[in-house]
Amino acid sequence: MTALPLVGFLALSGGLLAVGLFGILTRRNFILLLIAIEIAMNAAILNFVYFGAFSSRPSVTLMGQSIAVVVIGFAATEVAVGLAIVLALNRVRRSINVAEANELRE
Amino acid sequence: MNLEELAFLALAVVALVTGVGALLVRELVHTILWIAVFFVDLAAIYFLLAAPFLGVLQLGVYAGAVTVLLLFGIMVTRKRIFSRDAATGIGAVPLALAVVTFIFVVSMVGEFPQGTPTVYSIDPTTLSEGLFGAFGPWLLLLGLIMLGAVAGAIYLVREGRE
Repeated sequence: MTALPLVGFLALSGGLLAVGLFGILTRRNFILLLIAIEIAMNAAILNFVYFGAFSSRPSVTLMGQSIAVVVIGFAATEVAVGLAIVLALNRVRRSINVAEANELRE
Repeated sequence: MNLEELAFLALAVVALVTGVGALLVRELVHTILWIAVFFVDLAAIYFLLAAPFLGVLQLGVYAGAVTVLLLFGIMVTRKRIFSRDAATGIGAVPLALAVVTFIFVVSMVGEFPQGTPTVYSIDPTTLSEGLFGAFGPWLLLLGLIMLGAVAGAIYLVREGRE
């Protein structure tokens, strides 16, 4: 049985969430935007896993890991759709800068 | 401080550094290299948390599939894959907002139990029984959403549509 500090994990996931939020707000490249979303999402998955792991009840550990599996699947799906949007945007605009994608603004 | 804590500390520092590095480097291809290290590092954290199935899943889905998919996206949208990205500035307001978020999350730490609780693990049999038992509907929903996503992605990138 290993013992790990809970505070360190919370600081790690808080830091990763801040990094992802910063990336989402500042990057203008669609692929960098997707990467920033992935970083923030990984912070959330990490939360599920370790709050489950620190509980002595097996059902809670099981729930945390199950939710993590489902969220990893959702994140992979999101990247696939995001890259399809990147390809479509690149075909229409010849650029993947999200600041230039304003067809729906009028 | 025991060996596990040292390992966790090292992995956490690597995760934060590679996460920031991925967003700040100039070349997009280097971003992919940083983010690959980030995903492998998180997989190591899952192994440390006694969740080997999730660690393997992280390696396969993120470090494998997502990284290659992102690399493919860069490959087909650029004439030269090492060309630099124009807009990589650091805005003052987003930076402040990120710092405030971090401070807010860390300030909540006091409400959680301090010290070093034990890490509990479940064996893969229990995990799979739970996944296909109580969590069966969620897996089914995930499968349906993935199917819809594949159909939508094909519709978005198919030829002859303007």
